Amino acid sequence: MSSLPAPSADVVVSVADLSVRTKDRALLDHVSIDFSAKSLTAVVGPSGCGKTTFIRALNRMTELTPGLRVEGTVSYLGQNIYDRSVNPVVVRRRMGMVFQRPTVFPMSVFENAAFGLRLVRAGEQEIDAAVTEALQRAGLWEEVRSELDRPALSLSGGQQQRLCIARALAVRPRVLLLDEPTSALDPGATQRVEATLQRLKEDIVLVLVTHNVGQAARISDRIAFLHSGRLIEVGPTADILERPREKLTEQFITGRYG
Amino acid sequence: MATASLSAPVAAVDDLTRDRSGHVRRRTLFDRCARWLLPLLFLVAIIPIVDLVYWVAVRALPTFTLAVLTTNPSGASGGLYAPLVGSLSILLVATLVSLLFGFLGGLATAEYLDERSASMVRITANVMAGTPAIVVGLFGYVTFVQYFGWKLSLAAAAVTLGIFMTPYVFRATGLAYTSVPSHIREAAIGSGARPLQYLLRVASPIALPQVLSGIFLAMAIGVGETAPIYLTTTAVELPPVGLLQPASALPLYIWSGFQTGYILPSAIHLAFQAAFLLLVIVVGLNILVRIVAARSRRRLQGLFQ
Repeated sequence: MSSLPAPSADVVVSVADLSVRTKDRALLDHVSIDFSAKSLTAVVGPSGCGKTTFIRALNRMTELTPGLRVEGTVSYLGQNIYDRSVNPVVVRRRMGMVFQRPTVFPMSVFENAAFGLRLVRAGEQEIDAAVTEALQRAGLWEEVRSELDRPALSLSGGQQQRLCIARALAVRPRVLLLDEPTSALDPGATQRVEATLQRLKEDIVLVLVTHNVGQAARISDRIAFLHSGRLIEVGPTADILERPREKLTEQFITGRYG
Repeated sequence: MATASLSAPVAAVDDLTRDRSGHVRRRTLFDRCARWLLPLLFLVAIIPIVDLVYWVAVRALPTFTLAVLTTNPSGASGGLYAPLVGSLSILLVATLVSLLFGFLGGLATAEYLDERSASMVRITANVMAGTPAIVVGLFGYVTFVQYFGWKLSLAAAAVTLGIFMTPYVFRATGLAYTSVPSHIREAAIGSGARPLQYLLRVASPIALPQVLSGIFLAMAIGVGETAPIYLTTTAVELPPVGLLQPASALPLYIWSGFQTGYILPSAIHLAFQAAFLLLVIVVGLNILVRIVAARSRRRLQGLFQ
């Protein structure tokens, strides 16, 4: 078990004693971890270890699955997002999410990127500016700038995934949660998404779930290793890869299982 | 070594044209027969339909002039203006009624109700769909004609027919909304969409074409349905003038034309012309279904991977 990290001034999300249970078992078991500004944390672990449950609990997406019980706290800038008075819709606007498979909507490229802004009835000028900026930040602008009216479903898989990143970025979240965003992409598209993420960590908090230790090694600052719903170890990427403290971590990263 | 035992011994001569077991020959033969048989069976299947359309057309077209569409019936002669307008009016109101219950009910089962209540509503709708049309007609007569005092009228017929059409619209709506991929729903909610925003901005553009197809199909079934309106309105020779006035309908003229056709041969012409008109409406609605489906398929290509 990891000890609670010392609170630091630039902590954006602080997870304390977070458990997610179904009726008969714990998917996530007393996890505590902090996420600071401008960081990319890779959450790794074997399949079924709870990594997807973990990031879904960070913006209350767990509520879409009936029968899950969440205990503990997730604080966003000091506010517990599980507080009764907190609106989950607002939480999800601050902490966007990108999924395994691209999830573009059957609309134009522009409308996909503008989706989150239309939800809050932003003005046209604001939308134009934010869409352009989001597409630039997602590294897609150069490829689509001349055909923003094109149906998003006609883009390639990798472009669709970067469009999903742009859609999440357009509402200017402070946190972006990514659930194995490259697992459905070919190596070239994966590389472009990784480059995008590396640029993004210069200004927001990224939490990246991945089953790919190589990807964690390439782009993360920090690795958190989950096993059977428990956070086994968390530390700077190089430390975890070269000097893991826990036996389980070592076995996982050297590919002995998982 | 494990790998060595897996590879078959290589024969010096391996004739690819010979099929020692006969398996391949038998399958080839079966395949050939199937290729001939299936189109044949298809022809057998469409013969009744072609035959039906042909005979209706043969009996209706020689006497079918524009006057049939523009003049009111008069006894066993005249045109079909009143029943045509009546049928379309009844159908329009009935469609609105079926939308009210079917669309909202389908939406509720797909998006709002928990699984238990949803399946109860579904079972109810299935029972409704299985209720004989004449029973629905009887219900309409007792409820609307007698109890509500609407008499034999457009309103009574339309509401009764609407109830008959409801399960079709309900089923199409439920299917359309549940077939929106769950990852699309998650992405919308994950982007900060409220449930209603998800419904209006994401789910409906995907589901509505399918709902529309279902509505057109329900209309195609409803426009020719006789029993629900037979007991709730009556054949009159003038177009309907109000909701609480009787409205004639094409199926009623087929029925009455057939009944009096033995005595008055001209009445049977009217019956066939009404049948022909009904077929045209039904085929037209089915073509609309195809167009809507093809357009939405093109738009949503790649969404349902």
